[in-house]
Amino acid sequence: MIRQIIAITFKELKVLWLDREALALLFVMPVFFILVMSFALEGVFEAGSKGHPIELLVVNRNGGRVVEQAITDLRRVEALILIEAYEGVPLTSDKAEQLIRNGVYPLALLFEEGFTEKVLQTSNRPEHEKASVYLISDPAMNVQLLAAVKGAIQSVIERRVLLARVPQRLKEMLGIPEGVEGPPDSMLGEMNKSGSERSGVVFIHTFPKGFNAGRRPTATEQNIPGYTIFGVFFIVLTLASSFLQEKKDGTFQRILSAPLSKTALLIGKLLPYYLANLIQITLMFSVGVMVFGIKLGHLPALVIVSLALAAAANGLGLLVAALGKTEAQVNGLSVLLAITLSALGGMMVPTFIMPDLMKTLSLCTPHAWALAGYHDIIIRGFGVQQILSETGVLLGFASFFFIVALWRFRFD
Amino acid sequence: MMNQSVVFVEDLWKNYAETEAVRGLTFGISRGEFFGLLGPNGAGKTTTIGILSGLIKPSRGRISIDGFDLFSKPMEAKAKLGLVPQSFALYPTLNARDNLIFFGRIYGLKGKRLKERIASVLEIVELRDRVNQTVATFSNGMKRRLNIAVGLLHEPEILILDEPTVGVDTQSRNAILESLDTLNKSGVTVMYTTHYIEEAQRLCDRVAIMDQGKMIALDSPSGLIRDFGKGIIRIEFNAGVDETLLRQMGDIGSVRIINGQKRRVHLETGRTDHALRELLKRMEARDGLLKTLDISEPNLETVFIHLTGRGLRDY
Repeated sequence: MIRQIIAITFKELKVLWLDREALALLFVMPVFFILVMSFALEGVFEAGSKGHPIELLVVNRNGGRVVEQAITDLRRVEALILIEAYEGVPLTSDKAEQLIRNGVYPLALLFEEGFTEKVLQTSNRPEHEKASVYLISDPAMNVQLLAAVKGAIQSVIERRVLLARVPQRLKEMLGIPEGVEGPPDSMLGEMNKSGSERSGVVFIHTFPKGFNAGRRPTATEQNIPGYTIFGVFFIVLTLASSFLQEKKDGTFQRILSAPLSKTALLIGKLLPYYLANLIQITLMFSVGVMVFGIKLGHLPALVIVSLALAAAANGLGLLVAALGKTEAQVNGLSVLLAITLSALGGMMVPTFIMPDLMKTLSLCTPHAWALAGYHDIIIRGFGVQQILSETGVLLGFASFFFIVALWRFRFD
Repeated sequence: MMNQSVVFVEDLWKNYAETEAVRGLTFGISRGEFFGLLGPNGAGKTTTIGILSGLIKPSRGRISIDGFDLFSKPMEAKAKLGLVPQSFALYPTLNARDNLIFFGRIYGLKGKRLKERIASVLEIVELRDRVNQTVATFSNGMKRRLNIAVGLLHEPEILILDEPTVGVDTQSRNAILESLDTLNKSGVTVMYTTHYIEEAQRLCDRVAIMDQGKMIALDSPSGLIRDFGKGIIRIEFNAGVDETLLRQMGDIGSVRIINGQKRRVHLETGRTDHALRELLKRMEARDGLLKTLDISEPNLETVFIHLTGRGLRDY
């Protein structure tokens, strides 16, 4: 029995050894995967740390002394890189919003004019007269990361404001005429207030003008498009395997002996997978709506991006069918592409916290453009006109995949 | 030849990176003819079929199907053809009916006409009671018969079969051959590739013999045997035969040593009975040397051996 086991083992090893492409995929794929995932995910755990600081635009509209001190304090935070000028020109609020709208930077901090004066005056002001700090973010920015960054910024600013207000507060408190309870009670009351209440500063989180996001997006609204795109590209394996099986079974030969063009054969073969993708997308967004209550935004725009996304996925499937000669090659290539392109494209971690090289490489994936399109619609509230560029790029990917596939494809 | 031929192949070549699979093939098939393409494995028969069916693009050459050029008017040419490929070319997860429906629709059949044709072909191949069975559960013989049924669905004028009886039991094989013979007699032109000489001899009006991509002979089976066929006496000895005996055998007919130890020898002769008597005379003095003796009368196998020096199964 041992000899038989050994004989079978050697036979399998030989078969594997002779399929060099499958072997390459088997060993290269994990290495490639580690490299891509490590570089891409580097930012996830270290985002907002010394090694991977978050870039923060800062607009100071003559806020005064307290603002300058707060900005100095923020510069010392290793998790942040403050950007106060763009191309040599001090930032304005309009410029900062434009940069966020264009996806150049994710976050901006805006100190209003007269901030210091408002802070130093009495704390018993109505809300609308309190000093305000605006945190402007891209609605598509990861909510967990945003919350952490916002908390850090808020605490630094509040601390600076409190320090600035200490003389004023002591004056107000010591000015209370009666009783021992007064100062201790009021001091205890002060201590029990939140930092925001004590500092008297109002933090307003908003989005740049031009986005139709009426509210802050949920984590689900940010993530479901990514998961959907990830799922769509699994059609590559199914489609490519089906083509390979038809070649092996000889059914292609039989079909091609009929008065039927190769074009008709390919279209007939691809259509069901295209439809399957569209059903997949519909299903996943439906789950998002019915279970998590996400808002889909402009439906025609969503449909357009989905049609282009499915075309790109099918094109890639046909390309794998053209390149893969064996089952092992088709399987290996499909899985490699599905996972690494998803990682590169920002499905698993936002691209803005990736290293610069990875950010550039992400633009070479249809995934990144599909995600940008979905985020534009669902989170930024854009319509058809604004997603035309992403759609065009997706169709460009689809065209490239189809052209190369048809050039390399053999029916025998 | 071209005007009378319903299939005409002219100077057909197919080169791959390291091999010439088809080398300058030229032949014509007349309407209603049962035409055989005989050759060993690797002779180029399947490649030729692949080109005729439109799957493989030739390196050069012309093919005409009932007056239509296969490459400039493929739709018109292919409408005349029915193909029964060497592989089963069926969808194993579908049942027989669904396979027939699909391929019928590919040929433009639909509705009542499609149903009639399905019933008719199932009758021909005797699979009527298996129509709802999944193809994956079929035996090889049943798959082969269903394969033929698919090729007949659209009532082709020319039926091309590529080794349709490979891996099939004797009973199924005979059933297949009988139905093909009946079809041919009803007017269908048949092109049939095989490496079984008995099939070629039984069915074919003419046989083209292929070897290493080239056609080396073309005639009716009787014509080929008459012109090239020799009887072969296959002799096995208990010990290596000596030079004297070899010379003596050479006087009787053409000698071919089969193994290096000179224990197996083929003697090719136009007169097997005379050759056998002479051989036995010479063996009388060598008592105990002869182990076995086998005689083949002239047939297509011996024709092939005469033309190539190798047997059809020596591959």
